[in-house]
Amino acid sequence: MFEAEVNPEDITSAEFVVAIPSYNEADSIAFPVQQADRGIESFFGNRKSVIINCDNNSDDGTKEIFLGIRTNTPKIYISTEPGMKGKGRNFKNLFQKIVDLEAKAVVVVDADLKSITPKWIKHLGEPLFQDFGYVAPLYVRHKYDGTITNSIAYPLTRSLYGRRVRQPIGGDFGFRGELAQVYLESDTWSEAVANFGIDIWMTTLAMNENVPICQAFMGRPKIHRAKDPGSDLGPMFRQVVGTIFEMMIKFCPFWSQVKWSKPTSIFGFGLGETEMPPPVKVNKETLFQKFQHGFKSCGHILENVLQKETFNKLREVKKMDADRFDFPTNLWINVLIDFAVGYRDKVWKEDELLDSLIPIYLGKTLSFVKKTERMSIRESEEFIEEECVQFEVSKSLLVQVWNKGA
Amino acid sequence: MAKILVVDDEEHIRLLYSEELSEAGYEVITAADGHKLIERIETEKPDLVVLDIKMVDYNGLDLLQEIRNKFYDMPVILCTAYDTFKEDIKSIAADFYVIKSFDLTELKKKIATALETHIPSS
Repeated sequence: MFEAEVNPEDITSAEFVVAIPSYNEADSIAFPVQQADRGIESFFGNRKSVIINCDNNSDDGTKEIFLGIRTNTPKIYISTEPGMKGKGRNFKNLFQKIVDLEAKAVVVVDADLKSITPKWIKHLGEPLFQDFGYVAPLYVRHKYDGTITNSIAYPLTRSLYGRRVRQPIGGDFGFRGELAQVYLESDTWSEAVANFGIDIWMTTLAMNENVPICQAFMGRPKIHRAKDPGSDLGPMFRQVVGTIFEMMIKFCPFWSQVKWSKPTSIFGFGLGETEMPPPVKVNKETLFQKFQHGFKSCGHILENVLQKETFNKLREVKKMDADRFDFPTNLWINVLIDFAVGYRDKVWKEDELLDSLIPIYLGKTLSFVKKTERMSIRESEEFIEEECVQFEVSKSLLVQVWNKGA
Repeated sequence: MAKILVVDDEEHIRLLYSEELSEAGYEVITAADGHKLIERIETEKPDLVVLDIKMVDYNGLDLLQEIRNKFYDMPVILCTAYDTFKEDIKSIAADFYVIKSFDLTELKKKIATALETHIPSS
């Protein structure tokens, strides 16, 4: 029988909430729940707390596992209606619950986390009781884990909104309870946001609200179900990138005034030696093939979306063989600018336009892999930082092209 | 005129920076260490801090954290003779870093960019 809410201890108010969104996570949710419980007990013992599982009415027993875990912190299970899927929909339920509970601070952690410790709860939660309104995670990730973040989400949000938030779609983060109302009232909700666009949407709204943001250093790498960047990423890519473009349209008056970027505070040291992440394997041949085939099959869309010069340069890149393959950062920036403008101007059907960017992104990823394969994680981070500076230098071009087409 | 606070334990560096940055049109104040740095910033209200990383009694990266926690948007440029500091993740809380040199061209460029950074209020 469907239950929209199960609240065994009849909790009606809470100061501190740890939320775990899920869909079919029966085999993994127990661990983050246990770690969250320990974190709450150790570091927020004096605050009235609750652990909330916001679920998509999973049919694998996630609810039963969650409610069955023995914890000292009370638990609430909430779910979307049957058939209503999407991470963002889970969050919408969560926002309403936070408002109802009048919670002051909320920490969200992924249900498939294998590396979470109680200190993650401390570091994501404590700044919210100090001067900060939004806490993004900062973990050491393998250089090939999170390639959408590295190539698109981080450099674009940084250059657009002027805040250096290294993991804007990290999945584990904290926010002040009062932001829940802001999120509920926002007129930027969309189908993409109701799905995987939710993380970038929340971070971007926080930036636009000028909420003080800090990054919490987690000490341990994020170990979860990492994906090969060459594997099927269609829906997630569309939802994340589509949300970034939608927010660009909505918040143009803000971002067009932003120059350069500011670093954010870092919270959470003294975690001992930083643990290195496990390697992520990348199949360069697959990336190359997908770039080649995608360029061919999407050529008619690319020709419509990209400016002639950009399209011609991309065609030159396509002619390179795998050994010499190189995708210059400036070309990638120009591609993203043209796609953002093309998305706004609806030059092509939205989903097909976003899908046609995927093979180009895979080409850029291949280039990144080739350039950084002999680099340490720190060196590859410096490489990404240098790319971000190029994005910031190109900001004036973006503003010019954006305004010209408007 | 933008006011710059130079924090460095080496006197000749403080003198060099004072002279060159004054000539470049900035008002320069200096501090020889991190003692009461936060109070100093509160009183003097500089527009930007140039901070040495390795000082005899102070770690510039710890001072950077203190500054960030108190003055969320204060531009801070780290100066160091060694680039190994980048191994410490705390360094990313700085706006920029420069390797110490008697040629201040790079530092001046970074100062100008840091002061030019603009994020409108919502």
